Amino acid sequence: MADVIHIQIPAWQLPLLILIPPLILGFLVAWLRHLARSRSAPGEEPDWSVPPLEADSKTSPLHHWDVRCKIVTILVYSFLVAALTRLTPVLVAVGLSFMVLLIAKASLSRVLMRLLAIVGFISMFLVVMPFTVPVHDGDKVFVINQIAWLGFNVRGLLLAATIAGKAVAITLLMEPLLATAPLPMTLQGLSRLGVPEMIGQMLLLSYRYLNVFRHEARRMSSGMQVRGFRKRTNMATLKAVANFLGMLFVRSFERTERVFDAMRARGYKGRFPESAEPHVQARDLIWACVWLVAGVMLVTYDRLVF
Amino acid sequence: MHISDGVLPISVTIGGYAASAALAAWSARRTHSEELPKLAVVTAAFFVASLIHVPFGPTSVHLIIPGLTGALLGPSAFLSIGLGLMLQSLLFQFGGLTALGANTLMMGLPALACGWFFQKFKGNARSRQIAIGGVAGAAGTMLAAVILAALLATGGEDFFGVAKIALAAHVPVIIIEGAVSAFTIGFLARVKPALLQPAFAHLTKRDHG
Repeated sequence: MADVIHIQIPAWQLPLLILIPPLILGFLVAWLRHLARSRSAPGEEPDWSVPPLEADSKTSPLHHWDVRCKIVTILVYSFLVAALTRLTPVLVAVGLSFMVLLIAKASLSRVLMRLLAIVGFISMFLVVMPFTVPVHDGDKVFVINQIAWLGFNVRGLLLAATIAGKAVAITLLMEPLLATAPLPMTLQGLSRLGVPEMIGQMLLLSYRYLNVFRHEARRMSSGMQVRGFRKRTNMATLKAVANFLGMLFVRSFERTERVFDAMRARGYKGRFPESAEPHVQARDLIWACVWLVAGVMLVTYDRLVF
Repeated sequence: MHISDGVLPISVTIGGYAASAALAAWSARRTHSEELPKLAVVTAAFFVASLIHVPFGPTSVHLIIPGLTGALLGPSAFLSIGLGLMLQSLLFQFGGLTALGANTLMMGLPALACGWFFQKFKGNARSRQIAIGGVAGAAGTMLAAVILAALLATGGEDFFGVAKIALAAHVPVIIIEGAVSAFTIGFLARVKPALLQPAFAHLTKRDHG
């Protein structure tokens, strides 16, 4: 039978109990977001047209690691982490990710931005699961003021925490994976691993024009603001946004044609020139093995020890 | 709403990768090969469009526009969406490395369905195109929400509650997306009707242009 614990709380405290945790969480997220913004862009908007992933002066073992080994190792390791089912190994995985983060000397504000991007989705699990998970034998359920249908199931909270831990552990690895080599290098590594070369090229092109269109969109929206447009919850706003989208599409499709003509005029025949050919060394493979063995050990621990 | 890492069962994430890779390959085959670079540039525009936030009461929702993408790009839309999600996962804040396949299915399948629907029923009159565009836009988001809920529910009955909430959270988005898609199609029909043909796809018959 499930272990049901009844708690009596004065009625006036109940709203406080419901309102205060989300409020604290909300303020915390807002503050961290503000912090990450201000640290990543002192004083002004970041210039997105300059690729932020170009290798900077930092060096670390991850910067020297062969890019193919790095991609394969981190991808396989991520899947291993995603396969974990219990909280303890997940916490170990989060610890490992932090260690890698320190070794890679990743930019903390970018890591923070990545974490904040998943906060919404993950907190949905943390908030919803304790109340909706079906009650099994041996579960510990807290029932407040006899409201039986809103029992707080500890197993649900643990499950949600496991999911959150896995998400954090994998998200922390994204910066070490991507920010330790210039983007074209990483994509070249992908294509050497058998991903069609076109995919890498398309990613590069999209990335380039993403920044161009962001500038364009920003220009258009400041134009709209100058003419007195303010976003509200009404039909007129939706219509204005739709015209904005339409204009963005018209301009970008036209621009696409011009871009492609210009590329062909410069001799584009379906591929970009490659930089120097990378070589895998024994050291690269040893690193990959060590890391993957750690991942396999985590999964074994997860499945066998309990 | 995108699925983050560690939520789905491992078999579903790998299956999602396999299925979306197959569909992306099909989508690439249906696109003129020399037009793939153009598709990349257009993908950037759709990506920027999906960053736009629309206010909704005290909060705001960002557009997902799978329906609109499908309507404008036809069969190429799946590749475009896969590319967009990869960009988002790699370069911007969002992780989702292991859930990439599942996320692509979630956005790409509705785009294909709505693209087909829009091209099939759009007719020539502008008012009709607006109506069909609105339906396609709303249906695209609705389908994406249903697929999201179904994917979450593969985790077992522990996940049913979350799946229901996620589905319910999409209801206002569906209405907003429908309206924005309808107005956007209306704008394009007035300003540049040629864009309402699927841009880069092989077509057996093409009305004009």
